[in-house]
Amino acid sequence: MRSAGAREERGFYVRRTLRVGAAVAVLAVMVAACKSNSSTAGGSGAPNSSATIVHGTTDSIVSLDPAGQYDLGSQQISGEIYDNLLVIPAGGNTPEASAAQSCAYSDPKTYTCTLKPGLKFSDGSPLTSEDVAFSFKRNLEINDPNGACSLLNAINKPGADGCKWNPASIDTPDDATITFHLNAPDATWPMILTSSAAYIVPSDVFPETKLQPDDKVIGSGHYTLTKYTPGQQVVLAPNPNWWGDPPANGGVIVQYFDKSSALKLALEQGDVDVGWRTFTPTDVEGMKGESQLQVLTGPGSEIRYLVFNESFPAGKELAVRQAVAMTVDRQAIVHNVYNDTVAPLWSMVPSALPGHIDAFKDAYGDSPDVAGAKKALQDAGISTPVPLEIWWTPTHYGDSSADEYAEIKRSLESSGLFTVTLKSTEWDTYINAAVTDQYPNYQLGWFPDYPDPDNYVFTFYSSASFLNDHYKNAKVDQLLADERASTDQAQRVKDFQEIQKIGAQDVPIVPIWEGRQLAVTTQGITGVQDTLDVAYLLRYWMIGKSS
Amino acid sequence: MKRSSSLRGYVITRTLLAIPMLLILLTVVFLLMRVAPGDPISAALGGKLPAAELARRKHDAGYDRPLAVQYVEYLKDVATLNFGTTILDNRPVTQVIAQNGAATLELTFFAMIVAMVAGVGIGLLAGAYRDTAIDLGGRLFGIVLYAAPVFFLGFLAQLTFGKWLDWLPTSGQTSPVVGATLQTHTNILVIDAIIDRNWSALQDVLRHLIMPSVVLGLVIGGIFIRLVRVNLLQTMKGDYVEAARARGVKEPRVVYKHAFKNALVPVITIMGLTFALLLGGAVLTEETFNWPGIGAELVRYLDNRDYIAVQGIVVVTGIIVVIVSLAIDILNAWVDPRIRY
Amino acid sequence: MASQLETPPVPSSPQELDDLAPMQRRRLGALRRMWAPMHDAKGMPKAIVWVGIGITVAFILMAIFATQIAPYAFDQYKTAEGVRFIKQQAPSAQHLFGTNVMSTDVLSRVIFGSRTAIEVVLLSLFVSMGIGLPLGLISGYHGGKLDRTLLVFMDAMLAFPSLLFAIVIAFLLSKTFGHGVVTAALAISIVYVPQYFRVVRNHVISIREESYVEAARAMGARPWTIMRRYVLQNVIQNVPIIATLNAADAILTLAALGFLGYGIQPTEAAEWGYDIQRAISDAGAGIWWTGLFPGLAIVLLVTGLTLVGEGLNDVLNPVIRKRPIEPVELPPREGAEAEPEPGDEDQT
Repeated sequence: MRSAGAREERGFYVRRTLRVGAAVAVLAVMVAACKSNSSTAGGSGAPNSSATIVHGTTDSIVSLDPAGQYDLGSQQISGEIYDNLLVIPAGGNTPEASAAQSCAYSDPKTYTCTLKPGLKFSDGSPLTSEDVAFSFKRNLEINDPNGACSLLNAINKPGADGCKWNPASIDTPDDATITFHLNAPDATWPMILTSSAAYIVPSDVFPETKLQPDDKVIGSGHYTLTKYTPGQQVVLAPNPNWWGDPPANGGVIVQYFDKSSALKLALEQGDVDVGWRTFTPTDVEGMKGESQLQVLTGPGSEIRYLVFNESFPAGKELAVRQAVAMTVDRQAIVHNVYNDTVAPLWSMVPSALPGHIDAFKDAYGDSPDVAGAKKALQDAGISTPVPLEIWWTPTHYGDSSADEYAEIKRSLESSGLFTVTLKSTEWDTYINAAVTDQYPNYQLGWFPDYPDPDNYVFTFYSSASFLNDHYKNAKVDQLLADERASTDQAQRVKDFQEIQKIGAQDVPIVPIWEGRQLAVTTQGITGVQDTLDVAYLLRYWMIGKSS
Repeated sequence: MKRSSSLRGYVITRTLLAIPMLLILLTVVFLLMRVAPGDPISAALGGKLPAAELARRKHDAGYDRPLAVQYVEYLKDVATLNFGTTILDNRPVTQVIAQNGAATLELTFFAMIVAMVAGVGIGLLAGAYRDTAIDLGGRLFGIVLYAAPVFFLGFLAQLTFGKWLDWLPTSGQTSPVVGATLQTHTNILVIDAIIDRNWSALQDVLRHLIMPSVVLGLVIGGIFIRLVRVNLLQTMKGDYVEAARARGVKEPRVVYKHAFKNALVPVITIMGLTFALLLGGAVLTEETFNWPGIGAELVRYLDNRDYIAVQGIVVVTGIIVVIVSLAIDILNAWVDPRIRY
Repeated sequence: MASQLETPPVPSSPQELDDLAPMQRRRLGALRRMWAPMHDAKGMPKAIVWVGIGITVAFILMAIFATQIAPYAFDQYKTAEGVRFIKQQAPSAQHLFGTNVMSTDVLSRVIFGSRTAIEVVLLSLFVSMGIGLPLGLISGYHGGKLDRTLLVFMDAMLAFPSLLFAIVIAFLLSKTFGHGVVTAALAISIVYVPQYFRVVRNHVISIREESYVEAARAMGARPWTIMRRYVLQNVIQNVPIIATLNAADAILTLAALGFLGYGIQPTEAAEWGYDIQRAISDAGAGIWWTGLFPGLAIVLLVTGLTLVGEGLNDVLNPVIRKRPIEPVELPPREGAEAEPEPGDEDQT
């Protein structure tokens, strides 16, 4: 019935829809048009000491209580809120006194520290040796599944299965003195005092047998926690009771992102001032060209490597392991997959640490030596191509792992000496299977607990290694025991070098790359370059913003 | 077969049936999480600690007890509404649901508004002008919108309005400074800003809401366009519409007063169901726009085998969905007596 | 006189089919009866269905002949001579859609992605229909305790957010089946079983109450006969619609799984959702081609399938389809000549 009624009906609808649509559009434009003032590109001049710095990151926090954390995300905030007896200073790599006035070994198993006078927590209560002892005690007693009490082995109750407090391990003769009685001579103890297991907490606030709620944590560090929205934001303000110099800014907002691409966009739009570490190689390539951003690099201590399980036929043969070490093309990986945001790794100790030598480069050269690999295999009577099954995981080490292992497969296969089958599974299954003899060769990465070569070589080369790769070398175990017992730094360096040489000969593990610490800031942000060092802490108190 | 055709009988039966439904849901969640390979401790600390140490921590936390024992304890906890604390980041699960659930609620609410305005409006137009260019255009629009994955649309929107035009923010609920200074009362930021009369914060919050809710709303609206259109066509064939026309009622009034309302009843059903699905399935929108909602948190906890968090979130979501679907089924049965048992 | 009531000879061409009066058509076999409305439909709804079918068939052909059509393999990173492709290169003569961050050709990955999508969808349709349809039929028809138990179970499954359900199932299955097509397909099919069940069951319940079914029962027909003749046929008519719409949804779920990282790994097969995930960080650098083309592929295929489903609904759904009025042919009077009555104008 195409009548006047139909035309009327059309008109009715068109008018009504247009009216509603117009109203919505006007509202949207009104809201969108008034942009809020985001922080403008920085100008010149002295940093504004009351400016707020915004740090964007894709890390996440497990716990802000020292007894419940063993991850970088939690450490990053905790390192700002709490103080340690010793810390790694900016640009340095040996521990320096912070809360302590001085610390020294009185004998190889006894370590004594005296506190600075007049120390206070951010709530005004005094910091005494009792608080220090309490901090270690609760760490071991709470024994949280996510905690780092395993770092405190040196003062653990001898013979106990797991973490157990030993009352005889710490003496507090007076309010300012703490004496540690170590189970065995341990040269790494000062390093451990700079780690996340040794933050100092107030004994009258934190419970002894359970964790303190995250939004109520109190420390004696540079900053105090003023607001915590889990998964989204941490807000820090300068601690009025901090013993040292006030920070170069008036406070910090830490914003948490799910994806690095969102963080990158936020940096470009000026919502975030500093991004640290958590970028993909493509992000970095894009940001290098932007004039309102600066890209800064520093030494890194994150490493990636390939493990051989020596109970499998391929891993058992020394010649196979050496041939892989000779064939894998590190330069291709670093350049093609990571856009040079990482560097080839020539030893299981990263290059920024004292005691590092380029052991693999010295042994095998810095580019693939296919002829040498072929010879090694021939001499050992192994027929080529050698079948290799290599496992990797897509869900723990970033998306570039897929590309990295595709690249490894390519370089190994193009030599004609290997046929590689790549297999993957998600992280949780992967890590359980890898260390229980289910995978013949597998990818892993490592973040140090503290910047000492021992944290690398002991973890990887000792016969008690968590890798369970069945590598045993008595000489290496002996060297490890020696360097732990010795307080002579020069001697320890010699031991480390020896261990790395043996590691390059035996090749239980092939080091692939080491990370370069990377930070991206907007123009006008200062102080970030100085904090990029082996301690892996973005020291907010050094960051300034000139407005 | 026995059929009770009273509405009351149906309501009672359905409500009683909801309880075993919940029980099955709880059990399925429990089993899936325990049976899935892996556990929260090795997810967090595998690769840093030796296997023996990991095993000891697992034992201390009670994850290697027999399944039956853990199941009974789980049921006890749920009965007392004790949803526990997450393993991954030590947050009370109720806090996770309150804070992140509120963010998802805010997003889905505004997305539904967009979906209804776009969907119902265009659907009505398409139905009224059946088989004309408007109809075709409207239907194609709806189909293409639904066919575009929400993360693809979101990514295009971010690229266009965020990067190239720089009109709108592309992630988060607020800008960092507003997030730090806005007081939280209800966790629904729009309401919080209004309570405090903090107009600049309100503007910031609304600006961050626009892209995610419009993207999600358009995708859902795509479904509504087709539903409204089909229902309108079915209704317009009804006898009472014919009768109204015969009485000389003008066409717009016919459609609006008679057909429209009846056409919307099944649509209300679908909207209700979609809302329930929205709550669980807004994951992709939240991932794309860095929205701190319950879907994204659920995926994160799932990745890390955080039993407690996943159970708690799924159970509460399940309860909400059960209540909503119960209400819808009762509504349906009230309208259409054939559906009753 | 009785000739009109006998089964007419089977028509051997569409023209002959059209020539038959609607009354005669109804005597033909079930299948032909089902598709008869397609011939009645004119204009818009018909066009929609055919456009949708065209798009879907194009993708299916692309999937079948992927190896022949695609310029490179889905994981190929260098030419036959061994020269590596440039990473993230813009569209050019050698790479019509450019290359992505893994140095593989985007066009080839889009083409092989259609193969993955079609494989996964077919497999999951097969499994979920194979389980959901019979269960829904039996449950809806018999009712009672079985129905109630199944309903409760299926509703419980529906209460679980479907995407997350698929993710957890994918976790579980990846241990045995790896990260390939089979895991993804099974994960998706389990999610859709309750939906098929619910739709079929509700439909069966509605039909169960119809008077013709009651009449058949009164006449003593066996349950299986009733189910087969009346219920199944009616339900089957809806199945293509539901199946195509569910297939469209399955592709979106597969892409979502891939986007979140729980789907098919790039070394196993090309998958559009995974490629878009990798493209998100490319976008910030202004690299648009790695995400745009996989995304458009998803939109096109899902649109095609939905058009088929929507169009079929328009054509087959008896409530809204447009029926032309056929001229009524009365049987010739004894001794008089047959004279067809003039028909009415088309009913709107």
